[in-house]
Amino acid sequence: MAWTMLSGRGVHQVHAGRERAPRPEPRDEATVLAAEGFAEEALPWLDAVHGFALRLTRGDRDAAEDLVQDTFLRAHRFWHTYERGSNARSWLFTICRNTFLHGKQKAINRYEDSTVDLEARMETIAAVSAWGTGSKRPDREFFDQLIEEEVIEAIDELPDEFREVLVLSDMGDLKYAEIAEVLDVPVGTVKSRLFRGRRILQERLRTFAVRSGYVQVEDE
Amino acid sequence: MIRCEEAMARLWEFLDGELEDVEEAAVRKHLEVCHRCYPKYDFQRAYFEYMRRTSRHGEGSVELRRELFQKLLEQEAGDD
Repeated sequence: MAWTMLSGRGVHQVHAGRERAPRPEPRDEATVLAAEGFAEEALPWLDAVHGFALRLTRGDRDAAEDLVQDTFLRAHRFWHTYERGSNARSWLFTICRNTFLHGKQKAINRYEDSTVDLEARMETIAAVSAWGTGSKRPDREFFDQLIEEEVIEAIDELPDEFREVLVLSDMGDLKYAEIAEVLDVPVGTVKSRLFRGRRILQERLRTFAVRSGYVQVEDE
Repeated sequence: MIRCEEAMARLWEFLDGELEDVEEAAVRKHLEVCHRCYPKYDFQRAYFEYMRRTSRHGEGSVELRRELFQKLLEQEAGDD
């Protein structure tokens, strides 16, 4: 919903929240599957899981496709454990990530930081401030200048713990609580990692932009 | 009204739609009238729009879909 100030000097239209992808429609060809509800609830998220897998594997298309297949085959095998009508997307992202970590024999790093909320907010301030100094104020047209491959590269270069949270949120449209469920970490940790990841990503994009001449630097 | 620093500290949560009603209203009210913070809000909003467009990279190929579907059918046949 848009809220507009009706009087006074400033008239800014401000929206809380952001546009999120609608739930994809199920595909007809899959309805012959015997697993009840799998075609309707799980398969529509194939593209979303594929997007997540691509970033987990840092753009390795073959590895991502293998990961997607393993994820859905495992989900299908354990479909009886899924509670129908709950959150199939989060459930699939969880399986995808666990499958990836298992394949890489990585340990899940769990930690709890009691000052995480404060840190997360400081990350926001730092990121917003970073764009306000040293260069002319960036505007939304900045993003039209970016080359998509450079952005993907910048995302793939993020450390694992920041990359997966950022991809789940900003590309996968998951809410903080859903990401916490996927990663099995507290919501505060999600916020801290997400805001730090966004800050790092936006700083890297700014570096690309300065180097490419999209943003003019005044005092660097 | 909340100060610029407070509004900016909550900006990402505001844009993520994660604030409680009272906090959300306070941030919105600030952004409606603050000429210094509004461009930062607008820039971050553009970031989300860009990331959403970029996420379309993740669309799986027809081959992937077909191959997966075939394997699911084989898995079901193997379960019988």
